[in-house]
Amino acid sequence: MTTTEGARRRPWARRAAAKAGPLPWLEAGSGLTDRERALLTAVHGLVGDDGLRAGELGRATYRRDASFLNADPLGVALPWTVEQTAAVVRACRDHGVPFTPRAAGTGLAGGATPTGEGGVRPLVVSVARMDRLRELDVTNRRAWVEPGLVNARLGRAAAVHGLRFAPDPASQIAATLGGNVSTNAGGIHVLTYGVMSQHVLAVELMDADGVVHLLDGTAPELAGIDLRGVSVGGEGTLGIVTGACLRLLPAPPSVGTMLAGFPSLRQAAAMVGDLVTSDRLPDAVELMDARAVGLVEGYANAGYPIDAAAVLLIEFEGLPHAVAAGIDTAEALAQANGATSVTRAQDAAERARIWKGRKAVAGAIAKRAPDFFLQDVVVPRSRLGEMLDAVVAIGERERLEILNVVHAGDGNLHPFVLFDRREQGVLDRVFAAGHDIVTTALDLDGTVTGEHGVGIEKRDFLSQVFSEDDLAVQRAVREAIEPSGLANPDKVLPSTVGCLEARMVPEGAWV
Amino acid sequence: MTATTGELTTAEQVREAIMDARRDVTPVEIRSGGSVLDRLPTGDHPVLSVAGMTGVVAHAAEDLTVTVRAGTPLTELSQVLADAGQECPIEPTGGAGSTVGGRIATALAGPRQLGAGRVRDWLLRIRFVTGAGQIATAGGVTVKDVTGYDLCRLMTGSWGTLGVITEVTLKLRPLARHRAWYATDRPRHDLDALLYRPSASITTRERTHVLLEGHPDDAAEQAALAALVPADPPTLPVTARASVDPARLVGLVEECETLGLVWAAQDGVGVCHLDGDGDRLDAARTAAEKRGGALLVLDPHLQRPAFGSRGSSPIDERVRRTLDPDAVLAPWRWTR
Repeated sequence: MTTTEGARRRPWARRAAAKAGPLPWLEAGSGLTDRERALLTAVHGLVGDDGLRAGELGRATYRRDASFLNADPLGVALPWTVEQTAAVVRACRDHGVPFTPRAAGTGLAGGATPTGEGGVRPLVVSVARMDRLRELDVTNRRAWVEPGLVNARLGRAAAVHGLRFAPDPASQIAATLGGNVSTNAGGIHVLTYGVMSQHVLAVELMDADGVVHLLDGTAPELAGIDLRGVSVGGEGTLGIVTGACLRLLPAPPSVGTMLAGFPSLRQAAAMVGDLVTSDRLPDAVELMDARAVGLVEGYANAGYPIDAAAVLLIEFEGLPHAVAAGIDTAEALAQANGATSVTRAQDAAERARIWKGRKAVAGAIAKRAPDFFLQDVVVPRSRLGEMLDAVVAIGERERLEILNVVHAGDGNLHPFVLFDRREQGVLDRVFAAGHDIVTTALDLDGTVTGEHGVGIEKRDFLSQVFSEDDLAVQRAVREAIEPSGLANPDKVLPSTVGCLEARMVPEGAWV
Repeated sequence: MTATTGELTTAEQVREAIMDARRDVTPVEIRSGGSVLDRLPTGDHPVLSVAGMTGVVAHAAEDLTVTVRAGTPLTELSQVLADAGQECPIEPTGGAGSTVGGRIATALAGPRQLGAGRVRDWLLRIRFVTGAGQIATAGGVTVKDVTGYDLCRLMTGSWGTLGVITEVTLKLRPLARHRAWYATDRPRHDLDALLYRPSASITTRERTHVLLEGHPDDAAEQAALAALVPADPPTLPVTARASVDPARLVGLVEECETLGLVWAAQDGVGVCHLDGDGDRLDAARTAAEKRGGALLVLDPHLQRPAFGSRGSSPIDERVRRTLDPDAVLAPWRWTR
């Protein structure tokens, strides 16, 4: 059976696109170079008033993604179709102006921040309006999607047919699948289901000439080299993802969820190690420290033990006996590791309540501090305890409150560094803490990003992860796939040309 | 073929062999255990073999990872992991002598691909030597890692054409408590609604074979629900294998049946294993290519090219030229 979700038609938008109004931002005194003016005029001709934001206000909302990194774009094109996108990209090529692909902008590493080398302002090309579910192929358990389709919408469409889309980043109610492909996103259920790449069967990648390449078809082997795999996580530097074929899985017949409180971070970390080496791997293992628990409990009333130093959420999915055995094992291991409380979800409502706490972290922080800086590092699971201790020490040293929310089963830490940007000098301490968290992870054989991506934020750490030869090979592959250098320049790989434009400062009160 | 590279045991030696090949403008054939590539027609080319690069470098059981050198036989790796109650479900594809590097390089689907996912999904870090002679590492030893471009995926299934794999780090999982093959006369599509994520489903002319792994009580209930009876694992044909979009597998199988080929189809995966003579396999190749797929001839005695006439994209070509500028790494791979 195949169903197609009806395209949401926007005739008003098409009418608007045809209309050419006055263009105040093109007039004299706007500070545009001849080349910039020529490109904006060409793009305006392609997408109309409705599809181009080039005024100060229109540009302002596209200065950054969900990170602090911000820069001023030349303008923002919002095409409705792949054909329009191709025409916009070709216009960029013809005028020698780089472009920064973007969708919802929920990325956390500056991948969608419109920086260009040598002061050139790129054009932001948003794919957010291409948001259709092109085809839901229930029989073959896969979906063809447009890049602007929101992750959770695919999940809801699949659920109707007893299917699910496994990658579930915390931002899934806003994040788009095009962005998930471009960052190789993760989520809570990576432990057994794997990261985004494992769920991407094919990618449609538009190059800087506006030509769409199908990478690499849906045959299981003998399909040539896996350019699909490289394009997943390409962060817009290899072209624009204009479509993808995604794998769906049957919804699990049984789910078991457990919440366990521990008197120390070390005991919780030891429990994670025991779980992972037991004979049934959980599908999710999340850790929250006492600070995170205290905060969300007051906000979401999820029933977490607020006296515990750390809480683990453990979930098993699958056939009922395996799930029951897994939960039994987990409970025994929790007791053996000194758990002070163990709660099993008795029904779907209780399970939802337990997860609500985990998913409420970012919202709950708003009650505590006006700003937070979210890190993303990974260590081998056996080093988790050491890493958690190190984060606590870094917080004490920099006099900052840091909450630990961890995809513990993957060894993937997300420390939230809380601060108030109005406090004099606080940013230096925040960035020092972030820097130390990353270098500590590297010292523990870990890496600098597990699922948020490199973007701009982690770019210069790559020289500490890889050798010059490693990076030369990466650079060569990038240039082979995207020879023009116009697609999201200045991201992912350390720059070879020195100083760059974007600065890591929050907008607003920062002066 | 003539062996020229001797026993290579380090990445540096592989690099020297590649630099020699570049200097002499003499392309080489890449070998590991020989379970797949030795069965392909090769011509008279010097061989660069990594069969001597063996051994488990590090098995981090608590991290569910293992680092292993490319020439290590899969049987040896499986034993080391099984002793710790773990496995990496990338499997031999029929031939004896399968090595870790060979499995990554060819990325042919193992019998359990339906449940375990693709070979590429189990690779965390790769060390390789490019055709330009650069010794490179991509990925990392953690189970999540988006640091830099995903060259692990690029190298998987590149058949030795971009670089020579010297070492890999793989993701592991616990060995299933229970594992048993079943069979049924019901067609496979009847089973989809009844079975939750079986490890394998292989249809032959006679019946459908199903592998269930996990908790024994679950397996018993699933078997009862779908009226499966315990059975031996199916025997897979070994002369050739076709690969198509799984949605087009049934059509391919019907055509192979009409052609009089012996077949076994990996349902939901898209691979069809075939036995038959050269003319019939030629027709099967046409049938696979017509469906956007490909066919690999594994029997060297058949006077047939291993690969079909594959078109390659401009991006493929640019990536190849960049990593193998002098075309010394089996440049004939996709055309013979």
